[in-house]
Formats: sequence, structure tokens, C-alpha cells
Amino acid sequence: MANAMSDQADKELISRGLKRCSTPRFVLWMLPWVALLIFGLYAAGLCLVKGLNQTNMDNRFAFGLWIFLDLTVIALGAGAFFTGFLVYILKLRELRAVINSAVVIGLVCYSGAVAVLMVDVGQPLRAWFTFWYPNVHSMLTEVTFCITCYLTVLAIEYLPIVLKNRKLREVPAFLVFEFQLHKLTYVLAGVGTFLSFFHQGSLGGLYGVLRGRPFAFREGFFVWPSIFFLFIISAAAVGPSFILLTTCLVQKISRKRLVRVEVLRLLGRISGLMLAVYVLAKTVDTLIWINRTSPERGFPASQYYSWNPFGTWILFAEIVLFGLVPALVLLTPRLRARTGWLVAAAAMACGGVALNRFVMTVQTLALPTLSFDRFLSYAPSWQETGTFLAVVAYGVLVYSFSFRYFRLFPDERELQAAVPPTDTREADPILAGRY
Amino acid sequence: MLPWNYGFAWNTGHILFLGAFYTVLVIIATTVVSALWRSRRSLRAHQTEEIRWHSDFHDLPAADRVCRHVLTGEFKKRECPHAFDCRECETHAKLIERHPLTVIAGPDEDVFGMDFPLDRYYHRGHTWARLEDDGTVTVGLDDLGRRLLGAPDSLELPMPGDHLTANGTAFNIRKRGAKVRVLSPIDGEVLAVDGPAGQWRLRVKPDSTDERAFRHLLRGPEVKPWLMREMERLQLALTAEGAVPTLADGGEPVSDISASYPGTDWDAVCGKMFLEG
Amino acid sequence: MTNPNKPVKAARYGMAIDIDRCTGCGACMVACAVENNVPPAHAGANDRKGITWIRVYKVDNGGDGDGRRSAFVPVLCQQCGNETPCVHVCPQQAVDVDPATGIVGQMPERCLGCRYCMAACPYHARYFNWWDPAWPAGMEKTFNPDVAPRMRGVVEKCNFCHGRWHAARQQATAEGKPDTEPVAYLPACAEACPTQAISFGDLNDEAGVTAAAARGRDSFRLLEKLDTDPKIHYISKREWVRRIADAPRPGDGKESRRG
Repeated sequence: MANAMSDQADKELISRGLKRCSTPRFVLWMLPWVALLIFGLYAAGLCLVKGLNQTNMDNRFAFGLWIFLDLTVIALGAGAFFTGFLVYILKLRELRAVINSAVVIGLVCYSGAVAVLMVDVGQPLRAWFTFWYPNVHSMLTEVTFCITCYLTVLAIEYLPIVLKNRKLREVPAFLVFEFQLHKLTYVLAGVGTFLSFFHQGSLGGLYGVLRGRPFAFREGFFVWPSIFFLFIISAAAVGPSFILLTTCLVQKISRKRLVRVEVLRLLGRISGLMLAVYVLAKTVDTLIWINRTSPERGFPASQYYSWNPFGTWILFAEIVLFGLVPALVLLTPRLRARTGWLVAAAAMACGGVALNRFVMTVQTLALPTLSFDRFLSYAPSWQETGTFLAVVAYGVLVYSFSFRYFRLFPDERELQAAVPPTDTREADPILAGRY
Repeated sequence: MLPWNYGFAWNTGHILFLGAFYTVLVIIATTVVSALWRSRRSLRAHQTEEIRWHSDFHDLPAADRVCRHVLTGEFKKRECPHAFDCRECETHAKLIERHPLTVIAGPDEDVFGMDFPLDRYYHRGHTWARLEDDGTVTVGLDDLGRRLLGAPDSLELPMPGDHLTANGTAFNIRKRGAKVRVLSPIDGEVLAVDGPAGQWRLRVKPDSTDERAFRHLLRGPEVKPWLMREMERLQLALTAEGAVPTLADGGEPVSDISASYPGTDWDAVCGKMFLEG
Repeated sequence: MTNPNKPVKAARYGMAIDIDRCTGCGACMVACAVENNVPPAHAGANDRKGITWIRVYKVDNGGDGDGRRSAFVPVLCQQCGNETPCVHVCPQQAVDVDPATGIVGQMPERCLGCRYCMAACPYHARYFNWWDPAWPAGMEKTFNPDVAPRMRGVVEKCNFCHGRWHAARQQATAEGKPDTEPVAYLPACAEACPTQAISFGDLNDEAGVTAAAARGRDSFRLLEKLDTDPKIHYISKREWVRRIADAPRPGDGKESRRG
């Protein structure tokens, strides 16, 4: 009896017309992620209490798994700002189908990255020093300011999604506040785009300004090295791809059709376009770097790729295999029409950006700078991996919670009506919405 | 961060950087404060019901937001730009100038065996309003609405003295897991709640008895096309929520439709029909 | 920090390290650790996690058998003068270049431990406190009272024994010398070197020994093309030693077994 009543109470929190699994089943889904979160929090706790000696980072590998994954995750979360820009500023109305999901993903990615950063620094309680004594010449100051502001913006953008929950909406104050906030979303989208432009770029600038590391150093425009712009373009390219991937994943796990397939294809097309621009810019930049920037500083570029395991294959993989190839696939309408190709290309694009972030963070530090240096290797400790898994678990928990109780996909209700699919790909289970 | 820190010196970098940062902060803060301020004002001005309706209307699918003049064939396709508040609408004003509509005391409409007397105005949320001789307005639930809700599990009626807003909540009903709010057709103050159970009526003192106050309600020749469309919508809603089509051959809807569809998400069907989304 | 409004004759303290004289004994490393209250390595430390503000590397000419020649190179913070990489990147301005002395000073109290400066430094001269500093019982008697030990989670590096500079400055003031003149002092490593391979002095002082050696034909600096303008000059008559200052070439870099 108590169970039935609590189930009923839970049902009242779920949006009208949306089908969600039973409460016990939902709890069962959440439990392993909670367990992972607890394990991860323990690992992070060890690092905070005992010190960073719990990691495998050292004086030569000052940045490790966390920084690499932070940069990747922030690039993937760029879908939030880019979709917001496309919907509210460029008025691409079809993407309204995924904007809520994108905001949640962005929030999860950024808050997770900030949480990991708090564990990564030696003195987290001094984090406010950057705000109090900012060094305006440092890219890291820029990153700190922008990401903090942007996290605030994302939290504010998440608020209407929460307040539109069926039960919360009954409170007049929440209803009215959500309504008024929604009218100003375009301001937040604009601010979010401005902030994201700068911090995505500055994350690249972090490495581009390192005059002491010619592998990473680039010339550029005014104070901004070329990597600044490359990171922005690659983040904008991979944002829609990641949204595509997560949407397909959620569709698969929930066994529901959540967006019209045209929306996925549009995301793929936008991603392909940005990716193509990126590959072009990156190629030009790499050529300049190989032929001018690096040799001028006494470091011939060939020697970067003569250390195992980072041969020239890594450059090729980054630009061609995981850059040009997915760009071409996403730009080909015939291939884009097939969900399998679409998802694979999106995954490769995300992989390419992850590889790029890896190269900038890990390979930069692995390569020697002095002639009596050695090429170094590093593998993360279980505490580092655990901390990051906590972020993944946190993300899944927040997203699952939001998916169940908030309306993340406005088209879901229309699509769940038993209407036969209008395209001919009926054999495709995702498109057909049946399993 | 702040000029009085030791060793601080203004230079271009500082001006640009801190200028940008403070501008962004100010914009974000202004947005939030402005939303809070407007919310406070709306709550104070009792605009909650109006806002609730606008919010619900915004979330309705496009097919449910069609203009009343599409129902009567004057437009092929038009989405209502005023959230069904034709009192504001210039297009509607122009159209009724050319073809005025009145409440006529003609034969009652019989649509699929349901009872729709034409001596009253109908609201698209399935309530009706009838202007009485003494200047009060009687408000009730129409036949289709009654059949959809059947015998409700619980009912929250307004008290005498409560104020109703047009397109705002008239009453809340719970039925078989469904929580629906039924929309009020007019602005006014509730004088009395009477009528036997299942036939509840509200006696309302309207804010205005002017023709304009009733402009947004359907009447006379608009009622039948609207009802035909509502039956289609009901059909679609039932199918979407898992029921097997049964109304296609034009049978009569029973007095408690929900009882005939035990497996359907009644909450979703009612939400659709009562325009709650 | 010196008062920026007072006209000082700026010093540019630097070093001239004669590699041909360095025996690789490591006395400089020990003296530095003692002077600056550097904690002994934690039980779990490897050579990449320990703190050595000055570190002696062994290099060789790549030859085999009889053709093999070795040398020892002490590397410490190069006190870069031009667009100092670590100063440029620190988000909290916890590093700065003292205009009066040219010393790149680290403020551990302000350091957040983000380690961005460590990534920026091409000379690997910066070290992070991976552990809480801990000294065995009784060792606290060896502390230098003029130098503050650092806490866990911050970066530290050589500061040319700035405490000794302060002491010299105070001595000079007590002797009535004008405080706009640079003072002469010796950091611990230069003092301890048994072969006097480390020469320390004001590079602006043209007549000084250090400046003269730095101007010499056999002097070179590490990674000159990076344009960091380091103040540590190395001296060697051997050509192959001078080439260690260039960028690494694959296969020939070997990290020293000592230090």
C-alpha cells in the first residue's frame, strides 16, 4: 500500500503524457551509478586529504588524466552554447527539440570539470585568489573567470527546465518566475556564446602561449595563438556531434523515439560543416608550425614524432582519420541519411577532438625540452581514474533524473504516437522506434 | 580584481579584461533580477492564471492551436497568435464586422448524440457561459467534458468570492490518475456554486457584460465544426495513448468515456482535450 | 618587494657555471636543500617527485668505449629575463620578477598549486610539493630560521637564496651604505661548490667576475632560441658540451643517474 502510494506520488512528478519506467526500476537503474559515485568520491577524497601524491602525476608530468579529460569534456559540452546560439540567435527552430537536453549535458560537463579541477589543484581553498589577484596576461585566469561565469549561466538556464516540472509548476511563484525567465533566455544564450567563445579558445591558448614548449607554441593574432581559434572551431564542431550521440544513446536506452530524425541529420550537417572548416584551419596551422614556428625556436618538428609511441601516425589520426573522414561523411547527404553512418561519424569527430586535447596536454609534457631530458611516460593511478568516474556517474545520475522528471525532449509526446515512419528506413530500429 | 589591492596598476589589459568580466556579471545579474522583479509584479497583480494559461498554450502542439476561423473555413491554416484570446485580435474583429455571429435560440446541436444547446457561448476548453437576464453569467461543463470526466474522484470548485480569469482555472478535477484543470470562459467573481453533483454550475458576476467580454467564445454556427474537430482530436488522443479506434463508425460516446478505455493514459487524454498540454 | 617609486640601480644577479670544473659531487644540491629547508623525500617519492631546486645532470657525448666523455651540468631556475614564461602564465600572480634584482620570486603563500608554471618552464626548474613536508625527529634543529618552509600543494623553486640577499641588504644598510646600490652575496650552492665552478654575481656589473665569464667566448645558455634570456650562463671549452644547449634530438637524451 505504501509502495503504491509512493509510486503514485512519483508518477505525479512525471510530465503529462510521457511514459517512464516504474519507480523501483528507476531506482535499480540509478543504484550502480550511485555506487560508482561513492567510489569516485572516496578516490577524490583520498586525493584531497592525503595530497596529490595519490596520483601518478609528477614534476615532469604536471598535468595528467584530469586536465586532459577536463579539456575534452568541456569541448564536448560546447553543444550547450552552440545549440543555444543556433536556436536563440540564429533562430534555427528545429533544434529546439534538443536544446533542453543540451543544457543539461552542458551543465553536467562543466560542473563536473570544475569539480575535478578543485581536486586537481594543490590548494583548492585558495581558488578565490585567481579572482582577487588576477593576472590578465594569463590564459588560465581567463579560463577561470569565463568558466565560472558560464557555469552560472548554465545553472540559470537549467532553472526553467526544473521549474517546468509538473508538480513544481503548481507553485505560483515558480510558474511565474519560469515564465519571466524564459522571455529572457536569448540574453543568456548571447552571454553564453560570448563566454564560451573565450573560454573554449583560452583552453587552447593555455598551450599556445607556452614559449617554453615549442611543441605546443603557436603564433597567432595579437595576444591569441592560433590554437585559440582552432579550439573554438573544434568545440563548435564537436558540440552538435556529442548531442547527436547522447540523444541516440538515450533513445536506445529508453527505447523511445525522442527527436525527429531530421533533427539528428541537421546536427550532423552542422557538425560536418564546422569540422571541415576546422580541418582546413588545422592543416594550415600545422604546416606553418612545422615549417616556421617550431624550427625558429630551435626545435625541428620531425623530432617530435620520433619518440615512441607518438609517431606521425598520431598527427595523421588526429587530422585525417578523426577529422577529415567524419567531416566528409557528415557532409554527404546520402551517408547522413543512414543513422549508422551518422552516429559513427559523430563518434569519430568526438574521438578526434579528444585526441587533439590529449596531444596538447599529454604529448606536450611527454616530449623532452632539454637535450639531456628523456621522453617520459605516464599512466593515471586508480585514484585519478576513480575521481573521473565519479564525474561520469554524477553526469548519468543528473541526466537520468532530469530525463525522468523534466521535459528534456519536447517532441517526445508527438513522436510516441503510433504513427508509421515516413521514410523508408523501417528496418532501422532507432528510426522505427520499436525494439 | 579591485583597485585597492597592493601593487595594482591600471593598464589596457586590466581595463579590457575586468571591463568585460564586470559587464558580463552585470548582464547576468540584471537578467535574473529583472526576471525576479517582473515575477513579483505579476504575482502582486494576480496574473498567475493568465501566465499559467500562456505557458500551457505555448506548449500545446501546433495542431491544437488553430484559429477558430480555420474551424469555420475562413482560413485554411492559421495558428492563434493571441492564446485564444480573441478579444485582442484585430483579425477577428475585422472578420466579425463582415459576418457578425450571434447566439441564436435555434434547435439544439446534436453531434454524435451529445447535447449542445445553442443558447450559450462555448469555450474551447469545454466549458460554456450563458448570460442570464439578471446580468449574472452561468458557467458549466459541456456535454463532452462531462462525458470525459464522468464521475470525478475528487473535485476542487471555487468558493464564492473567488475571482475567475478568462482562460484561467475554473476548477480542478481528479479522475483515475488524471489531474485536470478546467478553464474558465470569462472574467468574473464567483457568486454561488450550485447544481446537483455532476451538473455543477457556477453563478458568476462578470467583470463586464459588454459584447467584447464574450468575443473569444464560440457560438451558433461555429459550434458544430468545432465539435467535429474535437471528436477527431479525441480519436487521435485515444489512439496516441494506446486505445484501439472505436469512434470511427460514429457511435455515441457513453456517459463515462474513461470507463470504456481502462488501459489508456486518461491523464494525457484529458490534458489534451482540456487544453492543458 | 622593493618600493617601485624609489630610483634603484637595478642589479641583474646571474651565474656563470663552469662545466669543465664541475665534478658532479652534488654539494650544491645538499647545500641548497639545507639552506632552504627543503624537506627530505617522502618514502614513496621517485626521482620525478622529489624537490631539488638545483639538480646536477650527467651528460655525455654519445660515444662508446674509449670515445665516451661525460660532463655534469647543474640546472636550476634560469631566472629568465625576457617574457618570463612562469610569470606570464600564473593565474594568481604568485610569481614575479623583482625589478631591483632580476630574481624571479615565487610566493608559495599565494600559489594555488595549479602547476601551469611547471608546464610552462622548459628547464624543469619548478617543483611541486606532492606531500606534506615532513622531517624526521630531531632534524628540525637543522632548520634555517630565515627561510619559511612551504606547505603541501604549492610550487617552489630556486630564488637565488633571496634570504641571503635580504641579510646582505640589511648588513649594507647597517654599515651605512646607500640602499640604491646592489649588494654582493653568495647563494648556498655557489658557496658550497668545492671547485668553485659556480660563479654568482651581478651581470650588470661589467667589471665583475661573473659578468666577464658570461661574456666570454665559451659561454652559452640553454635553449637560446627560445628567447627567454636566462641569467645562468654555462661555460665549457668543449664543443660537444656546448651542444647540450640545443633542442633534444631523438635517442641521444639520457637523464642523469645522479640527482
